[in-house]
Amino acid sequence: MATEHVSLTIDGRSVSVPAGASIWDAAARLGIHIPVLCHDPRLRPVGVCRLCVVDTGERTLAAACVRPCQDGMEVRTDSEEVEAHRRMLLELLLSEQPDRSAREETTGDDALYALARRYGIREILLPDGGEGTPRGRDASSPVIDVDHQACILCDRCVRGCDEIQHNDVITRTGKGYGTRIAFDLDVSMAESTCVSCGECVAVCPTGALTHKAVRGLRLEEGA
Amino acid sequence: MKRFADALSRAAAQPVRSRAVDTLCPYCGVGCAVTYVADTERNRILYARGRDGAANAGRLCVKGRYGFDYADHAQRLTHPLIRRESAYPKGQLSPLEKRPEKPGGPVDYDDLLPHFREASWDEALDLVAGRFKAIRDRDGGQALAGLGSAKGSNEEAYLFQKLVRAVFGSNNVDHCTRLCHASSVAALVEGIGSGAVTNIVRDIARADVAFLTGCNPTANHPVAATFMKEAAQAGTRLIVVNSRRPIIAEHAALYLPIRPGTDVALHNALLHVLIRDDLVDHAFIRERTEGFEQLAETVKAYPPERAARLCDVPAQDIERAARMIGDAHAVLFFWGMGISQHTHGTDNARGLISLAMITGNVGRPGTGLHPLRGQNNVQGASDAGLIPMFYPDYQPVDDEDVRRRFEQAWGVQLSPQPGLTVTEMIKAARSGKVRGMYILGENPFVSDPDVNKVREGLTNLEFLAVQDIFLTETAEFADVILPASSFMEKTGSYTNTDRRVQLGSPVLDLPGEARQDWELICEIGRRMGFAMEYGSVAQVFDEFAAATRAYATLSHTALGARGRWYPCADPEHSEGDPIVFQDSFPSGKARLVPARFQPAEEQPDADYPFVLSTGRVLEHWHTGTMTRRSRALDAISPEGFMEVHPGDARSLGLRDGDVATVRSRRGEVRIRARITDAVLPGTVFIPMHFREACANLLTDPRIDPDGKIPGFKFCAVSVQAERCDVGVVSAPHR
Ligand code: SF4
Repeated sequence: MATEHVSLTIDGRSVSVPAGASIWDAAARLGIHIPVLCHDPRLRPVGVCRLCVVDTGERTLAAACVRPCQDGMEVRTDSEEVEAHRRMLLELLLSEQPDRSAREETTGDDALYALARRYGIREILLPDGGEGTPRGRDASSPVIDVDHQACILCDRCVRGCDEIQHNDVITRTGKGYGTRIAFDLDVSMAESTCVSCGECVAVCPTGALTHKAVRGLRLEEGA
Repeated sequence: MKRFADALSRAAAQPVRSRAVDTLCPYCGVGCAVTYVADTERNRILYARGRDGAANAGRLCVKGRYGFDYADHAQRLTHPLIRRESAYPKGQLSPLEKRPEKPGGPVDYDDLLPHFREASWDEALDLVAGRFKAIRDRDGGQALAGLGSAKGSNEEAYLFQKLVRAVFGSNNVDHCTRLCHASSVAALVEGIGSGAVTNIVRDIARADVAFLTGCNPTANHPVAATFMKEAAQAGTRLIVVNSRRPIIAEHAALYLPIRPGTDVALHNALLHVLIRDDLVDHAFIRERTEGFEQLAETVKAYPPERAARLCDVPAQDIERAARMIGDAHAVLFFWGMGISQHTHGTDNARGLISLAMITGNVGRPGTGLHPLRGQNNVQGASDAGLIPMFYPDYQPVDDEDVRRRFEQAWGVQLSPQPGLTVTEMIKAARSGKVRGMYILGENPFVSDPDVNKVREGLTNLEFLAVQDIFLTETAEFADVILPASSFMEKTGSYTNTDRRVQLGSPVLDLPGEARQDWELICEIGRRMGFAMEYGSVAQVFDEFAAATRAYATLSHTALGARGRWYPCADPEHSEGDPIVFQDSFPSGKARLVPARFQPAEEQPDADYPFVLSTGRVLEHWHTGTMTRRSRALDAISPEGFMEVHPGDARSLGLRDGDVATVRSRRGEVRIRARITDAVLPGTVFIPMHFREACANLLTDPRIDPDGKIPGFKFCAVSVQAERCDVGVVSAPHR
């Protein structure tokens, strides 16, 4: 049985993909990397960070990681409106980040910071929501540092724990500004059923979940 | 307003020069591919990234992710050591029991080091070669023995068995496979002519039913367990059998908590129902097996009601399990040491083979036999001939033609007599038949049953050379200690539980004067007058591969970054065969071997009313030499414990965390109690890793007649709460 295909254009280039494929996947085929924080090809897409929004000519922007391609669709991934939208989102997210990214200072791959650099953001005209780290930390695990202040609630750790490792330990708790990730029925990481596989650290895009062993080291790869 | 310029410029921390190396996890048989990022200036690993390997798809467990720092531990051996005159006569140098003022953990170097002096490589190697040569020339090759390691590479295993066979002059070479799956291998070789798995773990995705018995994959094969859970979520129904409830049972369609040591009765009852209700594959039985009549005759005597009484599980659950197996299109059988580590381990495995065979569940997608292998290279070390009865590729040493071939290849005369197994070597050391031993990367003093006997054996040796990365409990008995390479410092190939042969690469430099294991083996051979010259590890692989059928098409180049499954007819275009024996078995037809239920040897009685089973925990490995020197793993799991059922704890007057004394006919340990209903009433469980609460002081050294494996999963013990007045003997809670 042949799979059905749909054809569309992305930034003026045509591409044909199996029906049901997301715009993000279709763009990736063309080598166009749509910026993203909550999405990872190994995880079920959820479309919560809204950074991957694209212009499909509709009334509102669409999240490329969850929106399926349609035949004849014309997608713009880098219009002025789209870029302004992403910039605003980044500023909002960054305004609540701690002053330093634990990920940036250890494994050096903070995806939020990488985007901030890409968009040339150096200062933000918003109140500093990260001051004094009001969201708190959990340093109970011998191997994993949890900095709730750096968490952007992208749910990657929740899905990594559930869908990749099938340990079902991480969840969300709280409402509104107080929302944060939690372990089991909201106990500390060390007390929880966490088996320290480290998948949450591997999938986390920010300094929220980092390896303790490398804290304080900034790595330069390729010696 | 918030400024980011500083943080964003990445100038915040001092940069560390690092290097990322694609290699493998050093621990278990799953064989996860990993990238270790190392600090090149300080020669240490900083962190791990999962790599897209055939067995792990980027996933890692806590050991692969955080257990790497043993390699740069300050206690790494960096100089050859020779025992001082004053340390004779030989004996154990440090106390085994945990002393109150000393926390647990590995051998105390302060106890040991004063008894050894540093020596040059030439002095140490000449001494080793000279003493082995003297013993060989005086008492013959049978007086020497070698214990190799399933942690080493295929190349090291090949060289080690070659040294023992060609230079020592006997087949006295073995490794820890004897202690984990020797019985499974014995049953598989007898049944189908091959000891390796017939299908890979990840094919569980295509199974309708998976039978998981005597295994605890979330602890011992953690990444494999993630694929099992994934399959269960997608509809594969798991039948889990165990006498200590494993976490994977939470994902099971059916869990059978059977009484320890009664697996044969359960297997026979399942076979009974399958045959009674005609749920068998007649064509498969006719075309691919022999011995069905005999099997059917034997299992007639095992109706589910009888097995229910013996195994202590409801008869209707046995009926249900049989029906699930019989009705399924594809069933995959996984088993671990709960099957193999019994004095009837071979019979246990025979039953599983029969179950797969009469239902036609081998050689197709989603079907097969998979003994979950423990060590990262226990499959490869066995393939490479680190076994007393086989040359590489399971070619029998007592086969005239085979021996001629190896004599020709190696240019020496070889002994036609099968050698001693691990447990037999220790016995022979005690009786004085074996006078000299070379132990590479094994620690029988903690890993073998009844360590008091092991102590006698090692003390009685005239000469013992130990090659390792740390001072182990076994090294305390050594005359010479050779500092060797850790996994993180060497090149080599490793074969995982799936028969996937993969390359490991050096991440770190050797510490101090430590040397590569393979070079040391060759040095000893050379100094004993036998040329072992190789330009590289890849060259050793080629010689090994040429001596086998399974690896014949492979080479380091052919393995590439992702490895290959063997057999692999065309490594350039194919990944090899994940599923084998589609049309026939190496032995032609599969032999169905019936087994009768016999109770385990040492049944509980009034003096020793509990059944002790030993096993492992997620964070530790074997005797803890590596994992207890990993800061992370040690922090998460710092000490040994004994699991006991709440009902038994009550009658013993034990509270959670209390210290108890556990005694068997062979020894006793003091250990903290952990109360859990995961264990059955009347049974206790102690992990094997912790020397200060050494489970193997208690275990029974009696062995399985075919696999020669000790019954680590069954011996009788008594339990006494330390601070209460209740008598030693307390009847188990039923
Ligand atoms: S599952 Fe095994 S091979 Fe994989 S990371 Fe864990 S210990 Fe290492």
